[in-house]
Order: sequence, then structure tokens, then C-alpha cells
Amino acid sequence: MSNSLLWYTTRGAGVVSLLLLTGVVVLGVLSVRRFEAAGWPRFLTVGLHRNVSLLALVFLGVHILTAVVDPFTSLGWVPVLIPFGSYYRTFWLGLGTVAFELLLAIVVTSLLRAFIGAWAWRLVHWLAYAAWPIAVLHGIGTGTDAGSFWLLAIQVLCAVAVLAAVALRLLTSSPDPLAADRARFRERVSREP
Amino acid sequence: MTAPTLLGGPAGAESFAEHQRRLGARPLGSPALIEHIERSGLVGRGGASFPAGAKWRAVASGAGPAVVIANGAEGEPLSHKDQVLMATRPHLVIDGAQLAAESVGADRIFLYVGESHRAALAAMASALQQRPAVERARTRLLPAPPTYTAGEETAAVHFVNERVATPTAIPPRPFEAGVDGRPTLVQNVESLAHAALLARNLFPDTVLLTVGGGVARPGVYELHTGGSVGEALGLAGGARTGARAVLLGGYFGGWIDAAAAAGFALDPRRLKAAGGSLGCGVMWVLDPRSDPLLETARVIQHLAEESAAQCGPCFFGLRSLAGAAARLAGGQPERSDLPNLHRWVDMVRGRGACRHPDGAVAFMASALQVFAPEYAAAGRRAL
Repeated sequence: MSNSLLWYTTRGAGVVSLLLLTGVVVLGVLSVRRFEAAGWPRFLTVGLHRNVSLLALVFLGVHILTAVVDPFTSLGWVPVLIPFGSYYRTFWLGLGTVAFELLLAIVVTSLLRAFIGAWAWRLVHWLAYAAWPIAVLHGIGTGTDAGSFWLLAIQVLCAVAVLAAVALRLLTSSPDPLAADRARFRERVSREP
Repeated sequence: MTAPTLLGGPAGAESFAEHQRRLGARPLGSPALIEHIERSGLVGRGGASFPAGAKWRAVASGAGPAVVIANGAEGEPLSHKDQVLMATRPHLVIDGAQLAAESVGADRIFLYVGESHRAALAAMASALQQRPAVERARTRLLPAPPTYTAGEETAAVHFVNERVATPTAIPPRPFEAGVDGRPTLVQNVESLAHAALLARNLFPDTVLLTVGGGVARPGVYELHTGGSVGEALGLAGGARTGARAVLLGGYFGGWIDAAAAAGFALDPRRLKAAGGSLGCGVMWVLDPRSDPLLETARVIQHLAEESAAQCGPCFFGLRSLAGAAARLAGGQPERSDLPNLHRWVDMVRGRGACRHPDGAVAFMASALQVFAPEYAAAGRRAL
């Protein structure tokens, strides 16, 4: 494989990862709002969020792997796990490492959710709100394409999508399909102190 | 002297004086008693058959003063053994609760008794009045709401804390953080009564059973754990001729073919090995005149209505199961009902905060297995 092919792959996989992660964040933010219609199958809601996140992880793997093995970059393996351990654009590449590790923590705790309990899982999952912006910043400041018009356009598009989803989540209340039944049962099992 | 039993002694509610004359004064609880109970192999009689000694030890090793909840909620509609025990031997239960408190280092005790169990509530209330001041000061009688899940241990803790008897998510389990965040022992009243005898170096190797349905003399019986299901049914006059199945363990248990059930050992561990579960000690014989599918539909409908509406898979899943079971029993099923029952039984399991949905689908699965020919015939009626 020629060096330039590796470098193209790194850049391409990075952009695809950004798009996929944006999709994951938007789906995750909206799933709390139960945006789906009653008849929608589960793979469009919970399933899609999970599967797209795993797909993003695959592209992220390609992004990292091709960057490291590219002899031209001579990055070495250190910056994969040690933030700000690279000679090349130390700060901006370090942001990528941080985002990657946060993402790993989110994926691992999700896979182990049954063992660690809902609250531990939820606490770690909130890190997604940190991981995603850090990943975007990493894209803005690193690489051959940083500052190019097309990449900037994609980044703006992603930011608008996530901000719109968060705004929707904050501004509207979440419908609870069980609210009435829950209240009725609580009435049955509640006693004055 | 005959072997010690829980219900042995006078008929009716035993007074404190009679109780002390019969069994002697209560010794004090201590860490040594925990070891004694561990060695006895006593398991919880609330339904889960969890080793009592291990639970006491876990609570005792928690930080700070603990709390004891004597669980007499008995929300299982087919079970009466806790009510009968509390109504006739209230001091044995209170002894056990005091011993537990002293052993695990608890300074507060709640006697959590189902509010619809009138005789049990009255006996426990009057028994508490007769106890020494030290015990009265740390013990409170607390009527429990009459729902199926009110006796679930996190629901009991939730009720003491906030007067709302719905199960809560675990972890933390009550032994880690229960009443006011303190280590809390939630123990069934029958287990506590056993502890009261064990502390006096009596070894009542018995279980309390509620035998009902298609038997001549339904009631609460006490039987040696070396006995069998057949012997237990015999105490109640035997199952009616032609009885097809026995519901072992109540609504959270399962149907077992009547012929096979008779030979099952009562000992919880041996029963588990044979694929059954004594649960809270219910044996309910399916009357030969009753329709098994109708009885099954009735039970699953009750469990669906008793969902606390906190978890979607439990609330919607049990409702869907009950609907399909009712249509099959009523002779007007949809084509998808029977395959759906089989599918949903696997889908619902393990997806609630508490074990309510798990118990319900385990019961449904046992019906699908034991009454497989009936279900197949009912399924063929689908258009």
C-alpha cells in the first residue's frame, strides 16, 4: 500500500467517523424524547443508536490504525492511548486521543451495563456530551484538510444537527406512556406517613 | 420430647407467658448466632430460598447500625402460611426479629405485616404490647399494602423510607443500603421463627406449606423437610382423583405434572435439583373440574395487573401475555397468540428492575410445557 493511500484513508475514515458519531449523538439525544412513532420497529430507535456507534468505532479504528502505520507520519503507538504524547500537532491530535478514550469508556460501560448498574452506566454515558465536541475540535485543528471549505461545511452541518437535537430535548418534555398507570399503582401502594 | 415445630403448642394465638413457659426465655442474639444459623443451613422462606446466614452476615458486616424488617407482607394470593404463623405464634416471629437485630447490630425493627391479614395484624399488635420495654422501644408494627410486589425486599425498604411500596432498582441491595441508607435485613417471618428456635438449640427441620385447590382439606401444614410433595398433599386429604397438575411455589412457581410432583422432595435444594421450586411453600392442586388454560390465564392476568408500571417490558409484556393466554383459554385465539406466548416468555425475562416479570414468565413457561397438548389444541382453533 502506498503511503499516500494510507494518508487518504486516514482522512476519509476520520470524516466518516465524525458523520457516524454525529448520527449516534443525535439518535441518542432524541431517543430520550421518544421521537419514534408507536409502530416503528426497535431497530430504528434503540438498535440503530447502538449499531451506528459500533460502526463508528470500526471507522475510528481504521482512522487511527492507518495514521499510526503510515511511515510518513512516524507517529508511533504512544499517541493512540497517551493524550498529548505526539510531536505532531501535540494539542490537536491529543484531543483526538481524549475523544477516543472517552468513547471507549462509553462503549465498554454500555456492554457491561447489566453488571455495573444503571447509574454508573448513565454517569459514564453523559461523557458523550464531552467526547463529541472534543472529536469535532480535533478535526478542526488536525490534518491536511483542516480549514478546507468542504470539511468546515461538514463540521458546521454536524454541529447544527447535534445542537438542534439537544435544543429539542431541552425545550420539550418527554412523554411517559406509563405515567397514568404508574400514578394509579402508586396510589394503591402509598400510605400516609 | 417430640421434635420441635413452629406451629406446635396451643391452638390459637399464644400469649407471651405461654410462649415463655413452653420454650423458655429468649437468649440474646450475637455474632455466634449468625454462625449457628449458617451451620444449620436455614434458607429464606419468602420464596427465593436464599441462605439466611449469608444474608445476616452481609448485613452485620455493613457500616454503622443496621435495620431489620420482618417481612410478613405475604402478597401471594395462594399463600397463607405467614398469616397463620403470625396469628398463632406471634412471639416466635418477634423473638426471631429481636435475635436478628441483636445479631446483626440493628437498633430498629419493623414488623411489616400485610394490612389485609387482619388476624395476623391483631395478634402481632397485641403480642408486641406484651414484650419487654427494651424490645417495644425499638420495634414498630407497619401494615403493608395488599399488593403482590409490596413484599419484594426493595419495595419493603421503599415503603419504610417513603411509604410507597414499589420495588426500586438494584444495586444497592437492602443489605448494602436500605432503610435510611443503612444496612437492612429483610427476612421472611417464617425464617425468623426458625431462627428463634435455632437460638434455643432446637432444630425444627420443617417447612410451612399452604396446600389448596383440588384437595379435601385445604390449609396450612407443617412438614419435615425430608418429606415429599405427595406426603404434603396427603396431609390435606390428598389430591382429587384425576388431578392433572400441581402449582408448586405459587404464582411465582410453576405447574408440575401431578404424577411426577408426588415424588418430589420438599428440601429446597433437592427440589431445585429436580427442576421444581418450593418458593413460599404453596402447593395448589389443579382441580380436575377446572380448565388448566383458564386457571393459567387467571394467574397471569393477576400478575399483569400487579405490575408496578415502572418498567416497560414488565407492564406491556405481561399485559400482552395475559391477553394471548385469555384468548387461547376462551377458545377464540388469534393465529399469532400461541407462537407469541413462546416468544414473549423469552423476551421479557430479566428486563425489569425487580424479578416480577421473571417470575411471571417462568410461570407462563411452565404452563406452556405442562399443558402443551391443551395449548396445541387451543392454537389450532385460530382462524
